[in-house]
Amino acid sequence: MPFDRPRYNVVLLSLSLVGLLVWLALDTVSVAPNRIVPGTSHGLAESLGWGGVLVSALPLLALAALARRPTPKSLRIALGLVVVQLATLPLWLSLAAHRLVDPGAVGARLGIGAGVWLLLFLLLMLLVELRSRLAISRLAGAALLVMPLAVLGWCLTQWLAPLALWQEYLGRRDQFLGAIFEHLALVGVAVGVSLVLGVAAALAMRRWQAAQRIGFGVLNFLQTIPSIALFGLLLAPLAWLSAHVEWLAALGVSGIGWAPALLALVGYSLLPMVRNTFVALEAVDPGVIDAARGMGMSRGQVFRQVRLPLALPVILEGVRITTVQAIGLTAVAALIGAGGLGTFIFQGLGQAAMDLVLLGALPILVLALVADALLGALTDTLRPGGAE
Amino acid sequence: MTECRRLIVPLCWFSLLLAATLGMGQLEGLFRVIEPGSRQVIYERADFLSLLGRHLSVVGAAAVLAILIGVGAAIAVTRPRGRDFLPLVSQLASMGQTFPPVAVLALAVPVLGFGTLPIIVALLLYGLLPIVRNTLVGILGIDPSVREAARGMGMSSGQILRQVELPLAAPVILAGIRTSVTINIATAAIGATVGASNLGDPIISGIVNGNTAYVIQGALLIGLLALSVDSLFSRLPSPIVR
Repeated sequence: MPFDRPRYNVVLLSLSLVGLLVWLALDTVSVAPNRIVPGTSHGLAESLGWGGVLVSALPLLALAALARRPTPKSLRIALGLVVVQLATLPLWLSLAAHRLVDPGAVGARLGIGAGVWLLLFLLLMLLVELRSRLAISRLAGAALLVMPLAVLGWCLTQWLAPLALWQEYLGRRDQFLGAIFEHLALVGVAVGVSLVLGVAAALAMRRWQAAQRIGFGVLNFLQTIPSIALFGLLLAPLAWLSAHVEWLAALGVSGIGWAPALLALVGYSLLPMVRNTFVALEAVDPGVIDAARGMGMSRGQVFRQVRLPLALPVILEGVRITTVQAIGLTAVAALIGAGGLGTFIFQGLGQAAMDLVLLGALPILVLALVADALLGALTDTLRPGGAE
Repeated sequence: MTECRRLIVPLCWFSLLLAATLGMGQLEGLFRVIEPGSRQVIYERADFLSLLGRHLSVVGAAAVLAILIGVGAAIAVTRPRGRDFLPLVSQLASMGQTFPPVAVLALAVPVLGFGTLPIIVALLLYGLLPIVRNTLVGILGIDPSVREAARGMGMSSGQILRQVELPLAAPVILAGIRTSVTINIATAAIGATVGASNLGDPIISGIVNGNTAYVIQGALLIGLLALSVDSLFSRLPSPIVR
């Protein structure tokens, strides 16, 4: 099939050319004297000087050239170039900071421009594309990002002090770590509780037909309530409970905070969890169960040693979906004072401080991607016949 | 006749929605019971009909664009000419599912500013993914021998797309659109935090002022809207005659 197509790799060619275009044409950085004043934007030539423009464009041109003959070897070189280009982005930002930000100006801020964001996005797409072309494993793909991240970390400590996002972080360093911890704790507890409840509910549904209909009806209904509303709806009942039941109040349950957030998160997490567990347990081949029974296994043994292990990958798929969804929903929970990274998003929106919004949104995105990748890898490992 | 009967349930939901929208003021006594301490129990900063209209128009605009772009992109990458992009697009579509809607919304605001536009863009981006993924699954899931048979009958590529591939993939594509729209109806409510006024307004205002009645009013209408649209989708005539 590949013979009737042109020889060059169209994806590589077009992504690198579009990358070159946005890098050359769009704003690279913006510089603001302080947090409140909107910054002035600077193009590439202003930010890096003409020498910098040439050098920074070279890897992209080389990528486009490599696309003409996509042999495995040249694709590997292309992958190397993409990683190098990713790693040089922080260096270019440092150069721009050095050229444009007056070292004497305290509080001056460097904003990252659309050109850099888009190039970053395109480079990550190139990474995904080349990784799948070269059939590189998930783990090795993640390892490729170590070098760019190390360069970024080093630049941040050395030269990128005026970077607005970094300044927002430095101003809230303790809060930030606390917020990540709160976020993960809420997600972890919600997923854990819904896993236990979900498996129990799925087992009950397999037992009783009526429970199945009612259970799925209730859970489906719960999903139609917008998350933001569910958080709001739990405010009053929980406030009432904490005012009237002493031991709940002693536990720290109140109308705002973690209690309504956790309840709502569990409510939302139950549907994917129950559905996947139920489907997973139902979908086990009846022949396998018969064979196990024929070997003299008891009901309990069949369930523990045959049905559950076979269903495990699909159940884990449910855990993955639930976790990713909960990471996003916890961001909304910040509206009712549950803490977590969403706090920064809503604070930032309230103050029109976009870098603060980014400080909340980017880690949430990263957390979701990492959780997705880790649980996906775990599912692959546990799949019967999968990599051990 | 059966066509009409098919639409009875969605019509019931829609009329319930409309009744709730127009008659919210009549329920004041009920909300007074829920929220006895507050001076005002019915959200009055904007009337519910216009909030509903704005909610629908934002979700609708995002849905139309998402369908056009999503189905178009999926068709493009399954043609021989665009086939090179297939692995990338399908990977992006499955990776994009992990992006939390709030984060997408929050990232759209710095670029596009406050107001309705960032919501439409965020909903569009977010709604695109299920549509692209399902269209890909639908088209790629067609038995190649069906396509061969159509070609053998002398159909052109365009005819195969219109008369064979799209009709066969339609149920899966519709399921993707349904997921996309239902999620977006709920997600649009979060848009109220970035200055778009829609049915999320009463909810946010209720949370901020500690007025549960407002929250219930917003949630009730959004829930009814989601149920109406969902039941409409579930009863759309299936294009396949088996």
